[in-house]
Amino acid sequence: MNSEPLAYAANALAGPLLLAAAAFACLLLPLFIKALRGTQGVIALSAALAALTFLRRPPMAEIGFFGGTLILNPASAYLWAFGFAVLAVILVLSLARPPAGEDSGGEYYFLLLMASLGLLALIAAGDLFTAFIALELLSLPLYALAGIRRSRPGLEAAYKYFMLGAFGSAATVMGIALLNSVYPDLAFAALMKAGAPEPLALAGFVLVISGFAFKTALVPFHMWVPDAYEGAPTAISAFMGAAVKAGGVIILWRLFRIFEYGPVRELFWWLAALTAVAANLMALAQTGLKRLLAYSSVAHAGYITVAFFGGQRGFEAVLYYLPVYAMATIGAFAVALALEKEERGPAIEDLAGLAKTRPWLAAAMAAFMFSLAGVPPLAGFFAKFFAFSAAVNTGSTGLVAAAVIMSAVSMYYYLKVTVVMYMKPAQAAQEYRPAGAVEAVIFLMAAGVLLAGLFARPVLALAAEASRWF
Amino acid sequence: MTELLTNPLSLLVLLPAAAGLALLAVPVKKTAALKGFALAATLLTLLAALFLYAGFDPAGRGMQLRFTLPWLPAYGINYALGADGISLLLIMLTAVLMPSAVLASFSYIKEGQRAYYMCLLFLEASMMGVFAALDLFVFYLFWEGMLIPMYFLIGVWGGPRRVYAALKFFLYTMAGSVLMLVAILWVVAAHHAQTGAWTFLMPELYGGALTPDAQFWLFAAFGLAFAVKVPLFPFHTWLPDAHVEAPTAGSVLLAGVLLKMGVYGYLRLAVPLFPAAAAVFAPWLAALGVTGIVYASLVAWAQKDIKKMVAYSSVAHLGLVILGIMSFEPAAVSGAVLQLVNHGLSTGALFLLVGVLYERRHSRLIEDYGGLAKVMPCFSAVFMIVTLSSIGLPGLNGFVGEALILFGSFRVYPWLAGAAVSGVVLSAVYMLGMYQQVVFGPVRHPENRILPDLNPREWLYLLPLLIFIALIGVRPAPFLKRAAAAVDNYITLAHPRAAAPWSQNEQ
Repeated sequence: MNSEPLAYAANALAGPLLLAAAAFACLLLPLFIKALRGTQGVIALSAALAALTFLRRPPMAEIGFFGGTLILNPASAYLWAFGFAVLAVILVLSLARPPAGEDSGGEYYFLLLMASLGLLALIAAGDLFTAFIALELLSLPLYALAGIRRSRPGLEAAYKYFMLGAFGSAATVMGIALLNSVYPDLAFAALMKAGAPEPLALAGFVLVISGFAFKTALVPFHMWVPDAYEGAPTAISAFMGAAVKAGGVIILWRLFRIFEYGPVRELFWWLAALTAVAANLMALAQTGLKRLLAYSSVAHAGYITVAFFGGQRGFEAVLYYLPVYAMATIGAFAVALALEKEERGPAIEDLAGLAKTRPWLAAAMAAFMFSLAGVPPLAGFFAKFFAFSAAVNTGSTGLVAAAVIMSAVSMYYYLKVTVVMYMKPAQAAQEYRPAGAVEAVIFLMAAGVLLAGLFARPVLALAAEASRWF
Repeated sequence: MTELLTNPLSLLVLLPAAAGLALLAVPVKKTAALKGFALAATLLTLLAALFLYAGFDPAGRGMQLRFTLPWLPAYGINYALGADGISLLLIMLTAVLMPSAVLASFSYIKEGQRAYYMCLLFLEASMMGVFAALDLFVFYLFWEGMLIPMYFLIGVWGGPRRVYAALKFFLYTMAGSVLMLVAILWVVAAHHAQTGAWTFLMPELYGGALTPDAQFWLFAAFGLAFAVKVPLFPFHTWLPDAHVEAPTAGSVLLAGVLLKMGVYGYLRLAVPLFPAAAAVFAPWLAALGVTGIVYASLVAWAQKDIKKMVAYSSVAHLGLVILGIMSFEPAAVSGAVLQLVNHGLSTGALFLLVGVLYERRHSRLIEDYGGLAKVMPCFSAVFMIVTLSSIGLPGLNGFVGEALILFGSFRVYPWLAGAAVSGVVLSAVYMLGMYQQVVFGPVRHPENRILPDLNPREWLYLLPLLIFIALIGVRPAPFLKRAAAAVDNYITLAHPRAAAPWSQNEQ
């Protein structure tokens, strides 16, 4: 290993280390230094921003740590950058609208930073076992975060999320155990070379895949999503939608590409098709904004899985898809946060007349909806286009046809939001607590979905470079 | 990069879009400035379109004024524009209708004016883009992108059932178009498999060696998207709702330009890309067109609402156009192309006139009027000319197009063309019947006695359309000449092996 990659690696690891340090600082320092009480959010945010400044253009090489359990390559660098950026935005939202009570210590920020660390580890995981540990590091803080308000909806969210999540984790562990009984080496690189799996290994793969499908929220492993998204603090819902999904997607992709054909491929085919169909149909009936976004996030996980079938080009599309989807979802959740009057978030009807009372906010929300629906010229269209184009190129036309038809169905519920905002008169006085930071996030995300499509080339170039390394 | 602005086609797309964005700089309260700015922008666009017209070589074959800017090279996507005679005429139509649409909105639109004019300008940009695009991706981008401004135009500034109409319009069009996206991806992938190159450029994709079986499904996917847009019977049910609920300018642009996109799609994409399948589908599409003519004419006859009647008459007119383009016969196709322009002008003018009435009486019902000839003589005269143009009276524009289509398609589909004639007769029956009830007879309602006649602004936006209605009626040759090369191209592409399309059916 020459010195250039090593210097880069040191630089790159500074980010996660900073987050870890900040996490403990948030938790412990205010106990001893009174002046720091209430500033935990600021500490966390500065750590995330500082971590962003450590980002460098990665060298075209793969660097393994700890015997290859963590792998740093352009792909993980790309997704780490994504993770830091999402974390920073979520922290801004949390600072503007503290989800936990005033008297709470730094545990909210500690948990959020720990979950982010888990996400970073998941992205860089070099073998299945590391991936599992990273997944737990990601999930456990999130269970607590979902219920951090200790209110009924919050506790229900946390409880459901934990019960079903534990089930998913158990499936993953069981699968890993089965796999380990067949393959001594669980590194992804080694699994790639293992050849066609025997029945026991196949069962292992299926279990592991279902475990990660829980995190990614693919139908039929999505049951926790609507309740968890609805009951969790809105900033955390946005984090779950934008970041946690990305972690699951990466591992699913690593598992997907082990198989050129065979039953596992078929399993993915069914997961993708079922998710695209069922999630969109279930979303049609939703009345709560956060629940709608929850089902929308499930549907998008389906589209992402469709892109898997496009091979490396498909993964390039996924890498473009994740930030584009994240911007629209975070933006929409931020709008929900701005209009929130009870913990479950606003009902769709509560947005009535928003175009009259807050035209800019309504315009931004419309942009998010059209982007999620995939209407040009918004970025969401480009993301879907790249994803589906890759899948058609490799002959998965039937799956893509199902996905695009369902995406036309999804138009209905995204349009419903714009109908309420633009074409219904406002009923009662709207709950709106202006907060500059929340609005700043909303407009930043709106600018993103407006421009990331028409000027997709630089992002796409990075994604193309990164996609070669998975 | 400077070519983005110096190329007339690119300018036609960018100018309205930039003007729409620039409207944001005008304060919401300054409505006069907003209106003036929007009008100036559409007039400037018209000026740019006139330059395009002047720079267009009528004799030239193939795409002219081409402009290519690599956009996403890894995917073979270029921002590629170009125009042949067909696109030229439709671009000119759009450019001519837009200032009238803006002028007609001055008194009609009272709320949210800035957003309204932004929607109109964005709509103009995307309409220009559809007609100028030479790259499938760019085409699809504009094709779908157009839905957003139109959706808001109908849904926010429309009539009482506007939400239903807007949703129906959006969902119908979207549902029709998504499979076209899959088909586009398939065509490009097949081209890549064959040549090893990624490209979305239409001219390069023409004549690809797709199997007839693949062509069948691909044509079906494209054809569905365009059939919804045309709208071809039985995919037309969104149209009466959308037209009736849309504000006047929205109806003008829907009927005048948006419906043309469906036909344009067949001419530019579905038929040239999949000629073998087109040959299979053509008689069926022509038959659907003719069914539409008869059905929509009968339904129009039964309408009590003038706007609804005009809306159904559009379905009938477009059915005739489809008969023309599906006969692959030079006279019929030229007639169909000209008829696209004619329909845009006459139906656009009809919707404007209905708007004039509605602003005065807030009713569109035929029975609420009567005897307007005495009260509003100028209005009645203009209405007369436009009605006659719509039913195809010789000497006005509608006749030229209809006659060419019927003569041409008679060689190919004698029975269908014969049935289509009934539509021409029926259109005279219902349009003249409506005209008679609205304009002649005694003034049945006292409140109609005080209706003011056309004011200068209304003259201003009707006059350009009237001039072209008369001009095309008397001298269609310059317009037909410009479209001739493109029509020949279309027929050659539709019959890849037949050198002489004229002799096609004698064989």
